Amino acid sequence: MTMHPLRGALATAALLALLPPAVFAQTPGPVIAIRDATIVPVTAPRIARGTVLIRGSQIAAVGADVAIPAGATVIDGTGLTVYPGMIDSGTQLGLVEIASVPGSTDTEELGTFNPHNDALTAVNPHSELIPVDRVNGITTVITSAGGGLISGTAALIDLAGWTGAEMAVRPRAGMVVTWPRSGGRGGFGGGGGGRGQQGDAAERVSRQVRELHEYFAEARSYARQKESATAQGTTLPRTDLPFEAMIPVLRGELPVIVNADEAGQIRGALALADSFQIQVIIRGGNEAWRLADTLAARRIPVIVGPLTRVPADDDPYDMIYANPGVLAKAGVVIAFQTDDAADARNLPFHAGLATAYGLDPEQALAALTINPARIWGVDQELGSIEAGKVANLIVTTGDPLDVRTALRHLFIRGTPVELTDRHTKLYEQFRARPKINEQ
Amino acid sequence: MRQVHALVGLALLGLPLGAAAQGPDTSWDPQAGPLATATPAAGTLVAVTNATIMTATRGTIPRGTILIRNGRIAAVGADVTIPAGARIIDAEGKYVTPGIVDAHSHSATEGGVNEGSQSSTAMVRIEDVLRQETMGLYREIAGGVTTLNILHGSANAIGGQSATVKIRWGLPVDSMQMAGAPPGIKFALGENVRRTNRAPQPGQERRYPFTRMGQEEFLRERFTRAREYEAEWTAYEAAVKARKRGEPEPIPPRRDLELDALREVLNGTRLVHAHSYRSDEIAMLVDLAREFGFRVASFQHVLEGYKVANELAAAGSGASTFADNWAYKMEAWDAIPHNAALMAERGIRVSINSDSDERARRLYQEAAKAMRYGGATEEEALRMITLNPAWQLGVDDRIGSIDVGKDADLVIFSGHPFAPGSRVEKTLIDGRVFFDRDQAPTLEHRMQQERNRRRPVPTTSDDSGAQS
Repeated sequence: MTMHPLRGALATAALLALLPPAVFAQTPGPVIAIRDATIVPVTAPRIARGTVLIRGSQIAAVGADVAIPAGATVIDGTGLTVYPGMIDSGTQLGLVEIASVPGSTDTEELGTFNPHNDALTAVNPHSELIPVDRVNGITTVITSAGGGLISGTAALIDLAGWTGAEMAVRPRAGMVVTWPRSGGRGGFGGGGGGRGQQGDAAERVSRQVRELHEYFAEARSYARQKESATAQGTTLPRTDLPFEAMIPVLRGELPVIVNADEAGQIRGALALADSFQIQVIIRGGNEAWRLADTLAARRIPVIVGPLTRVPADDDPYDMIYANPGVLAKAGVVIAFQTDDAADARNLPFHAGLATAYGLDPEQALAALTINPARIWGVDQELGSIEAGKVANLIVTTGDPLDVRTALRHLFIRGTPVELTDRHTKLYEQFRARPKINEQ
Repeated sequence: MRQVHALVGLALLGLPLGAAAQGPDTSWDPQAGPLATATPAAGTLVAVTNATIMTATRGTIPRGTILIRNGRIAAVGADVTIPAGARIIDAEGKYVTPGIVDAHSHSATEGGVNEGSQSSTAMVRIEDVLRQETMGLYREIAGGVTTLNILHGSANAIGGQSATVKIRWGLPVDSMQMAGAPPGIKFALGENVRRTNRAPQPGQERRYPFTRMGQEEFLRERFTRAREYEAEWTAYEAAVKARKRGEPEPIPPRRDLELDALREVLNGTRLVHAHSYRSDEIAMLVDLAREFGFRVASFQHVLEGYKVANELAAAGSGASTFADNWAYKMEAWDAIPHNAALMAERGIRVSINSDSDERARRLYQEAAKAMRYGGATEEEALRMITLNPAWQLGVDDRIGSIDVGKDADLVIFSGHPFAPGSRVEKTLIDGRVFFDRDQAPTLEHRMQQERNRRRPVPTTSDDSGAQS
């Protein structure tokens, strides 16, 4: 079950892997055919034995009877299954290398309101963490910073590219808001203070919520002033860069990603959406099950996870695991996040845990592929195996939610990516150390 | 310890003992919460039937029965005769594994995980701070964990005395300790001991040792002292024996609780569990232990163990590691998920631990990662959360596999434990069902409860129903 490097019939593909890790031209390029594979397009029924044809960065054809053009690199997919690449809807990938080494982290800016900060600016395209996540089939992620109440924009990036700009699928995919929380529930360690501290926390929360509303209101009046100035053919005397960054949010063009776990936080986010007529995406959502019907009726997506959390002591033991299934059954569009960088490789296993507690496996797969593509507005490009979409594909020995499944091939924008990383290199290096009786 | 043993004995027999007095309670309301769980009846005669049995020692029995008598496994196999009167647990379509053993836990140690005020606190005991009502314990049995090695933290080089605990949920905490298990002690090396990963508390001074060199010298100093202390006692005991009538009583050495524990390490009666990351510090402790004539029972975390697998194998030490954690601090930068499989390949007995109340809930999925990375076999992977940690704790003759004579600590999974979509249905300890999903307070129950609250039962004039 080890990750085998490219080999055998793949000699040509291996050569391709030496090319830049992503190809961006939409023009026809190298042609690769994965044939005789099971294909799970996600948006269409499974094809028991078929071919996926890749031309350049795109999927050129999918089906049981696809003619393979002469000169195509052919990959024998017998016994293997092709899935769309998986999308993690919440990471800090590229912004952090070693969590405890301050010099390697750019995850928290100072200040309370930083809507003009763009996560993409600080993404290190050459982070050692990127290949590690990639070889587990994660091809696209949302990466964003935290800190303060408005942390700036999140970027949707493919996990290949020489620069941040090359990686970007959407340089600004959403505006990150961390909803104030009382801090007494969920999370790690318990602890928590006495009554007095809880009272202080409640006061702090209501003050911060008020500040958020005020900030949105000020940004809105700035936007209105700018609009009327523009209409009169003049400009505002002073440009406010943070408020400028809020304009797409207030126009409803850029969704607000609200990090919120508690029901009260989620209700707060819905109230903000009502007040300012903005798009809201809930992220975290541990208690979203309490509002499942409301969220479904209002078509507000929920990015669940990480599932590697413990519920509060007075909550059901399986609450974190069962929440995604409850939401999906109620008709909420869900996706998953790991809220991590080093651990993003475990994304499919978070979804796997949810299937043990009520989430339908097909919906789990959708929540890793087409659902996030829809949530991030890129479902014309990503999230399923359809002709014309970007060829972000994984070829596996089976169900990607199963820990025991191995990846055999990985394509990002049509280019084969080598299944090696810092870990496989160290593994090979030390596995080659002579054994005791060989020394 | 003898007293504890007696308590456990009573508990096993199902005799009245604190909360145990209630006996099985079929009217129990799951909405009342885990603390209201009825203490299960003693597993005097239980048969788990029609199960796929993953023994951890002899492969998988596709359709078999496990017979439990007085809390121990009395028979396992495809053709087991079930005596009359046995309580039957039908595991049709389900998988049964040995109870999961977590060799690195801090559960139930509320406010007591680190003494840490000096570099050796070998005298302090985890058993003094355990809290039986810690909900983390309940969530762990709901994840199939039955035995924990509860350790101190890693704030200092010698953290204190650990406790081997069986999660007999609902019984008094003293009854959770695994009677007869060898005592253990936590050592720690590297960054945490240096305290370089967190801001110092106001007024906090740096504490020796501050480097890995200092850590070696500190340990050598304590063991040198312990050896001398041992010699003082040996001399005293010899003098007591040799004393003739009329001669004055020899004066005993001054009792030192810290050195008492280290003396047990030197004598091999107390097992060392050593928090470690980098290969250099692992090699250092392997050598130091050899110098003082003891064996480190388990290196904990041991994320670079794969680099010194030869040395670990030669020392006969176990390795208890994470499945795939990495990059959370400098000394975890070279951690690889192939570590467990690679060390196992070199002959080391490897376990996969949690070090977290959260991870402990899904160790059965963590173990599968040893198959994914490095190609461990299914049974090897299963042993990494059962028999191997039991061996590291010195209790593999009693738990860790489904074999006749062992404690009936079992997990019944809805499907293959390594498959996604499988969950724990029942967890048995000593043949008693301490977790049963059918009776557990689940999210589904909670939602039903809240629906009922929102829609109160309409009042009617029909009083024919005798409901209350």
